[in-house]
Amino acid sequence: MEVERQFPVNGMTAPGVLDWLAGTSFSMYLRESLWTYPIIETVHVLTLCLFLGFTLLLDFRLLGMALRRVPAAEVVRRLEPGIAVGFAFMFASGALLFSGDPVKFYGSVFLRIKLGMILLAGVNLLIFHATVYRGVQQWDRAAAIPARARAAAIVSILLWCGVVAMGRAIAYLLPA
Amino acid sequence: MPLLPFVQWCDQSALGHALRNSPWLFPAIEVVHLLALALLGGTVLIVDLRLWDIGFRGQPVAHLARDAYPWMLAALAAMVLSGMLLFVSEALKMYRNDAFRAKMALLAVALVFTFTVWRKATLRYDGRAPTLRGRLVALVSLALWTGVGLCGRAIGFV
Repeated sequence: MEVERQFPVNGMTAPGVLDWLAGTSFSMYLRESLWTYPIIETVHVLTLCLFLGFTLLLDFRLLGMALRRVPAAEVVRRLEPGIAVGFAFMFASGALLFSGDPVKFYGSVFLRIKLGMILLAGVNLLIFHATVYRGVQQWDRAAAIPARARAAAIVSILLWCGVVAMGRAIAYLLPA
Repeated sequence: MPLLPFVQWCDQSALGHALRNSPWLFPAIEVVHLLALALLGGTVLIVDLRLWDIGFRGQPVAHLARDAYPWMLAALAAMVLSGMLLFVSEALKMYRNDAFRAKMALLAVALVFTFTVWRKATLRYDGRAPTLRGRLVALVSLALWTGVGLCGRAIGFV
């Protein structure tokens, strides 16, 4: 059964499942806890060092700007496990933050843009691995990094900067 | 406290007023602060993990540290600059904020440690094998920077 609920933006209704989630004791606990919510926020912010820090270093390597003494293939191989673990923590903590007030967050246009950008960044990563990265052994020995690898790095940097900006926008512009 | 007049001057400065009067400047500077945090944390982390013998194990410690060092310095500069702007916009509030004071104290310790002990243990260690000393340095470094980050987060909560 869908419960009608007035929405923070453009008078839309939230899916019933979000109303259900908001009413669970789990969601109420997150919302009303003195410590739990701030702790999850802290995990979400500090995991940026692992997730985004490694991602930026990887992208800077593909642009030939950082870790130049280390082959690109090794940088990708060494950093990607950390990036994966970091992403898991970012996503899990983000999902918990969302669960604390699902109807409110659902109404945030910035959260939608943020999720869209994360999706695009994922597609960008998949394309990088499926195409230009396959030939890394060859271009790692050459002087120049292929344009497609550089393009993937620039797209990644721009999207993740946008994701961080949207994250701040969600916090500032969501009606309390 | 001899610092108070300076803090009041920051608070009342034209820059402080401009930052307070703009609805988007503060969040925008926070975005820079967060991006720099990611880069600073990332560079410190790869070197500290290497000291512990995790990650770039094929590379000598100094090799990796020399590559990471300029980015660490750049991130640190961006962090301090954006942090100063954030401070100026609410200087008096920060002056009375215990988490901010703890953060500045820890930051001072972290900086001294980083540019003396840490620098020497990373940039000047050409070996590959982990040492007890290196592992201790990595632990202290991670603990100090995590402490700075936690205090930073706590500023908004206290």
